[in-house]
Amino acid sequence: MKKKLAVLISLTLVFTILAGCGSKSSNSGTSADGVTTIEFWAAPNPTQQAYWQKIAKEYETVNPKVKINVSAIKESPTSEASIQAAIAGGSAPTMTENISRGFAAQLANSKALVPLDTIAGFNDIVTKRNMTKTIESWEFADGHQYVLPIYSNAMLFGWRTDILKEAGVNEVPRTYSEVIDATKKLKAKYPDKYLWAKPDLADPTSWKRWFDFFMLYNAASDGNKFIEGSEFVGDEKAGVEVLSFVDNLRKEKGLLSQNVTEPFENGVGVFTDVGPWTFNTWAEKYPELQYKKNFEVALPPVPDGMDPANAKTFADAKGIVIYASASPEQQAAAVEFIKWVYSDDKNDVAFFQETNLPPARDDVGTNEVFKPVFEKTPVLLEYAKAIPNAVPSMDNPKFNELQTFIGQEAFNKIVRGEIDPKTGWDNMKKAIEGELQ
Amino acid sequence: MDKNNNRLGWLFASPYLIFSTVFFLGPLIWSLYLSFTNWDLISPTYDFVGFKNFTKALGTPGVRSAFWVTYKFMIVFVPIVTAMSLFVAVIVKGLPKLKSVFLIGFFLPYLSSGVVASLIVKGFLSHTSPVQTFLRERLGLDIDWLGGSFSALFVVAMIMAWKFTGYYALILTSGLESIDQEVYEAAAIDGVKDSQKFWKITLPLLYPAIYTTLILSFGATFGIFTEVYQLTGGGPNYATNTWQMEIYSQAFKNLQAGYASAIAIMAAVATFVSIFVIRKILEMWGKRNGWV
Repeated sequence: MKKKLAVLISLTLVFTILAGCGSKSSNSGTSADGVTTIEFWAAPNPTQQAYWQKIAKEYETVNPKVKINVSAIKESPTSEASIQAAIAGGSAPTMTENISRGFAAQLANSKALVPLDTIAGFNDIVTKRNMTKTIESWEFADGHQYVLPIYSNAMLFGWRTDILKEAGVNEVPRTYSEVIDATKKLKAKYPDKYLWAKPDLADPTSWKRWFDFFMLYNAASDGNKFIEGSEFVGDEKAGVEVLSFVDNLRKEKGLLSQNVTEPFENGVGVFTDVGPWTFNTWAEKYPELQYKKNFEVALPPVPDGMDPANAKTFADAKGIVIYASASPEQQAAAVEFIKWVYSDDKNDVAFFQETNLPPARDDVGTNEVFKPVFEKTPVLLEYAKAIPNAVPSMDNPKFNELQTFIGQEAFNKIVRGEIDPKTGWDNMKKAIEGELQ
Repeated sequence: MDKNNNRLGWLFASPYLIFSTVFFLGPLIWSLYLSFTNWDLISPTYDFVGFKNFTKALGTPGVRSAFWVTYKFMIVFVPIVTAMSLFVAVIVKGLPKLKSVFLIGFFLPYLSSGVVASLIVKGFLSHTSPVQTFLRERLGLDIDWLGGSFSALFVVAMIMAWKFTGYYALILTSGLESIDQEVYEAAAIDGVKDSQKFWKITLPLLYPAIYTTLILSFGATFGIFTEVYQLTGGGPNYATNTWQMEIYSQAFKNLQAGYASAIAIMAAVATFVSIFVIRKILEMWGKRNGWV
C-alpha cells in the first residue's frame, strides 16, 4: 500500500511539473485599473524597432488606457521560428509586424491569426490609408484578410556602373543578351570579378528564391502566379528561359556562389538584388557607394524580345498581424492602435523616412507628402515607381517546401552546372506537384 | 536495515529518475504519439494519420540522405578524431610536466560554441579570405569548400574532429596513465623492441579507453546539427543533411511537427541499431585480439 502511495505521489509530482511547464496564462492583458497591455513584436531591424517604439509612446500619451510593449522579434534561428515557438509555447504576442504573405498563410492555416476584416473598423483603416488597391492582392484563398501590409518593396537589381564602365559597358543591360555580353566584357577586363556573386545562389533555403529566381521569373513570365491556390500554374517557357539565362551566366564564369563577404559592395560582383533597406546601411558602411555615380538600380533583365521598361518583379511586402491567442481586449486595443497610426499620413512619412521602406499605399508615388523622402534619397523613387510591377509572394501554406524545391531541384543545381535547364524545370515541377497533392 | 538502504537508494536515485521522466520519457512518449498525427506545431486541432508519416518519410530524399550522410560522416570523422586524439594523448603522456595545462588547452574547443567555430571557419573559407586568396593566386586552387559534396562534408567533419579531439584525448590519457609502467619493463626484459611497444602493449591495454572513445565518436555523428546548420544548411544537394537537420527543417521550417516526430523516431531507431551493431563489432575485434 505504502509502495503504491509512493508511486502515486511521484507520478503526481511529475505530472504537476509537466502541467506547470505547459500552463497557459489566462491573463486578459487588462489590469484592475483598466489599462490594456499589448505586446508588439517589431521587425528585427533597428530602424523599424525605433519607429514603433516612438509611435507606441506617442499613442500611450493620447490613450493612457493602453500600454504597448514594443520589442524586436528574436531571430534565433529565424524570426518565423521564434513566432512559431511562441505560439506553440502559449506566449505569442498580441501583434507582430514583418509577416510575409506566405508565412501568414501558414499561420492562418493553423488558425493562429485573427481575420482582420472581421474586426470592426478594419475597412476604415484601408480607406483612410489609401490602400484599397494595394490590399487587394493580399486577400487569401478563404476570402479573408489576415495581414495589414505596411510596406511593399518592389525589388530591383543593383548594377555597379563604375566597374561596368571600366569594362566598356556604358548602359545598364536590360535583356539577357545584353547581360551575357556585359559578362563577357567584364571577364575580359577583370577575370577575378563576377557578374553575380552571391552565396545564396546555391543555397536551397526557401526565402532566398524570392531574391533570385522569382525576381527573374516574374519578369520573364510577365507576373505569372506560379502557384494558384493548390495548383502549379508555372509558365514553363519563362521558367526554362530563366534557368537557361542563369546557366549561360555560369558558362561565361559570371556566377560566384562561394561564401564571400558583401560582394556587390566590395566590387567582387557587379549585379545583385537590392532592397531599399540597404541604403541606410550603405550610407554608414559604404559611403562611397553613390546612386547614379557608381551604382544604379533597375527592373530585372528580361528575355530578348520582351519590353524591359515594364518588367515585373518580386514584391517583398510585409505587414502586421494580430494573433488569435490574444484576449478580445488586446485584439480590440491593437486594432485601435493601428487605426490611430494610419489615420495620419505623417506616420507613414515618418516610417518611410526612418526605414526607407515604401508604405503599402496606392498613392506612395504621387502623394506630395512623400516628396521630401524622395528628395532626400532619390533612389527610393525607383522603388515607388516599380510598385505596380511588383508581384507578391504565393499565399500557399506550404510555400516553404515549395520554394525549397525550386532551389534543390532546379536553381541551385543550374548554378552549380549539375543539370540542364529543361530537366531542372521538369524535376522541380514534379516535386512541387507531388507536394501540392 | 535493508528497508532503510532501499529508501536511501530511491532517495538518491530520485533526482535522476524525475529528470529522466520529465525530460526523456515524457518527450519520448509525446513524440511517439505525435508521429501518428499531422499536427503542425501551432494549430489547435490535428488528425491521426496512422503510419502515413513513416511511409512518406521513407520515400523522401531528405530522409534518405540523412540516413546515408550519417554513415559518410562516420567514415570521415571517426578515423580522423581517433587518430588525432590518440596522437594528442600519447604526446601529452610523454610530457615531463604541465600535462594538465596542455590537456585543458586541447579540451577548450569542446567547450566552445559550435556557432562561433562555424562562423570562424566560414570566414576562413570565404572567397576573399587570405587563405582562399593565397590558394587561388599562389597555387591556382579555386576551391568552393562548402559547395562541393565531399569538401563540405569534410569541412564539417574536421570542425567536429577539432572540437572532440581534446575530450577524447582526455579519456585516452587517463587510459594511458592507468597502464602500469612495470608492464613495459617486463616487456623490455622479454625483448620487446621500443618500436613494437605501442602495438604490442599500449594499444591492447588502452583498448577499453579506445572502445569508449569510438562508441562516443560514432554516436556523435548521429547528433550533428550546429555546424551543418551554420555552414551548409544540409547542402549542397543534401550532401550534409543530417538527421537533426532534417528533423529541424520539417518541424520548424515546414511546420510539420507530426512528420518531424516520425523522422525523429526513425532517427532514434537507426541510432540505436547502428550503435548496437558497432558495439558488437568492436567487442568481436577486441575478443579476437585477446584484448578483452
